[in-house]
Amino acid sequence: MNKKLLNKTLKTYLIYSVLILIISAPLFYYATKRLYTKEADDTLLLHKKEFLKYTASTLKYTDIALWNRFNRNAKIDSVKQVTKDTLFFSSYYDTLDAEVEPYRELNFPIILKGKSYTYSERINLVETEDLLKNIAILFFAIISILLFGLFFITKKLSLNLWKPFYKTLQQIESFEIDKTKQPDFAETDVEEFNRLNTSIQKLIERNTVIYKSQKEFIENAAHELQTPLAVFQVKIDTLIQRSDVTQEQSEILGSLNENVSRLNRLNKNLLLLSKMENDSYSDKQTISLTNYIQKNLDFFTEQAKAKSLIIKMELQKDFEIKSNPVLAEVLISNLFLNAIKHNIEGGQISIAMQENKLVFSNSGQPSPLNTDKLFKRFSKSNPSEQGTGLGLSIVKKIADINNWTVAYNYENNLHSFSILF
Amino acid sequence: MKLLLIEDEKELALSIQKYLTDKYFVCEWVDTAKAAIDKISIYDYDCILLDLMLPDGNGFEILKELKDQNKTEGIIIISAKETLETRIEGFNLGADDYLTKPFHLSELLVRVQALIRRKNFKGSNIVSFNEIHIDILSKAVKVNNNKIDITKKEIDLLLHLIGNENRVLSKSAIAEHLSGDMADMLDNHDFVYAHIKNLKKKLNEAGSGDYIKSVYGLGYKWKNE
Repeated sequence: MNKKLLNKTLKTYLIYSVLILIISAPLFYYATKRLYTKEADDTLLLHKKEFLKYTASTLKYTDIALWNRFNRNAKIDSVKQVTKDTLFFSSYYDTLDAEVEPYRELNFPIILKGKSYTYSERINLVETEDLLKNIAILFFAIISILLFGLFFITKKLSLNLWKPFYKTLQQIESFEIDKTKQPDFAETDVEEFNRLNTSIQKLIERNTVIYKSQKEFIENAAHELQTPLAVFQVKIDTLIQRSDVTQEQSEILGSLNENVSRLNRLNKNLLLLSKMENDSYSDKQTISLTNYIQKNLDFFTEQAKAKSLIIKMELQKDFEIKSNPVLAEVLISNLFLNAIKHNIEGGQISIAMQENKLVFSNSGQPSPLNTDKLFKRFSKSNPSEQGTGLGLSIVKKIADINNWTVAYNYENNLHSFSILF
Repeated sequence: MKLLLIEDEKELALSIQKYLTDKYFVCEWVDTAKAAIDKISIYDYDCILLDLMLPDGNGFEILKELKDQNKTEGIIIISAKETLETRIEGFNLGADDYLTKPFHLSELLVRVQALIRRKNFKGSNIVSFNEIHIDILSKAVKVNNNKIDITKKEIDLLLHLIGNENRVLSKSAIAEHLSGDMADMLDNHDFVYAHIKNLKKKLNEAGSGDYIKSVYGLGYKWKNE
């Protein structure tokens, strides 16, 4: 799936931030904890110094029990024997809170009046654990706010930054070489975007020029061909009048005649296509297709007779469209003649009008046609046939310039072409 | 009948001239607008065939000149230019018909005949050939004075054949004539055979001579027996 440019940068930011959070949170936690433990140790050691300096020298043997009684967190133990200072974690059951709580404890040996004891003192870590938790929460909160801020600022900034880019993109998207005029890109304050716009502008200009010259070429070529074609035609017409034409020559002339006539049709249809591209048929009127079909039905029926085709019609009383009259007639004739041409002996044609849809269906080859090529110029299902290969591309072109849709489908052995007006 | 052909393409002009010249027609040919205007000022013609693109000017100028001189010749424009605008301009300037290149000579001939018939119309408009009489206006055909049942298309075909008497008409020329505007889209010309067959049958049944001859590989010919 394609992602939007903006989301892509934001996503990278987000991943980076979450990663930093995940790594930094425990790091921060342990660093704080270490710091705090060190603080506790320092306190214990300070207490030890105080004890040795001020208390130990004055403490009597008999006072020990009393001293122990009034010092909840310090004890002088005669049973336990340690040889050196030891700092460690321990836990004791707190009767007040009714839970086991963590402590930091210092044990060290002392000699009182020649007798060795172990002095042990502990500091409750509970409060600091709470502190730690609070610090962690605060830390998370700050980082989150920072991240969100970053996220929105980046988003807004990028949006602004990429604005000319999206504008250009939209202009290119709506550009059609044969319809719209060239897009006019506004100057931006970013060098890269200006470069992009200039390059696109140049590209479009170049292509439009090529497109135009090609269009002109087709029209000019078709036009220029008309005079030699006319000479060709009349020369054959003259030649066939000769009385000394043999049967063999007559066959050759007949074939020449058919081909010059085909060439002629091809040329006329190419001219029609290029004229449509040049907007020569832009004036529109309201036309009744029903009338047109009925008016020319004799002609089509006559063409269908050769193949003994059955024509079924479901015409609406008044099926009106807005179009250039010449093009509307060409459209109907092409669809009708197409349905006749590609039909089978004794086949059928049906013409149906529904709301804003006209459908021509015909029997024909027993498999669906290749839709990729169907509406392309000079694509023929059977290359040897006499057709110009332009009929359906003319239909498509007429539909395109009127913003209609042409669709083909194959169902129940019928090939259907529908125009959605 | 005198025709003036104004056409700068020599090969085309010679063939047209040759085809149109027969017992009824004399066809003169000029290849510049200047020569055409000179001719028009001096002589009267029954019909003028005019190409629009000439080396020394536009065919429309000749039309204007004819109008200025109050000439009433029938004018058929023969041009490679095929836009609605040129057609309309041509008709507005007094042209009677418009034929786009390329065309069949037989088509040109029947157009000339039809135009002259219209111009010389004096109450009746009947084309006759031996026992066959065609009333163009009422679209009726009589053979030996008996009206026969015939379609519009068949009358059209009959006029095309008679108009091109003794000339070979190719199948495509007939097909293009009969299908009119639709000709450019029509790939199959086989329907001509059916029309010829029907027409032949109707004429024979009415007791007419067998004038329609098949020309092997090419088409048909109307020939007096």
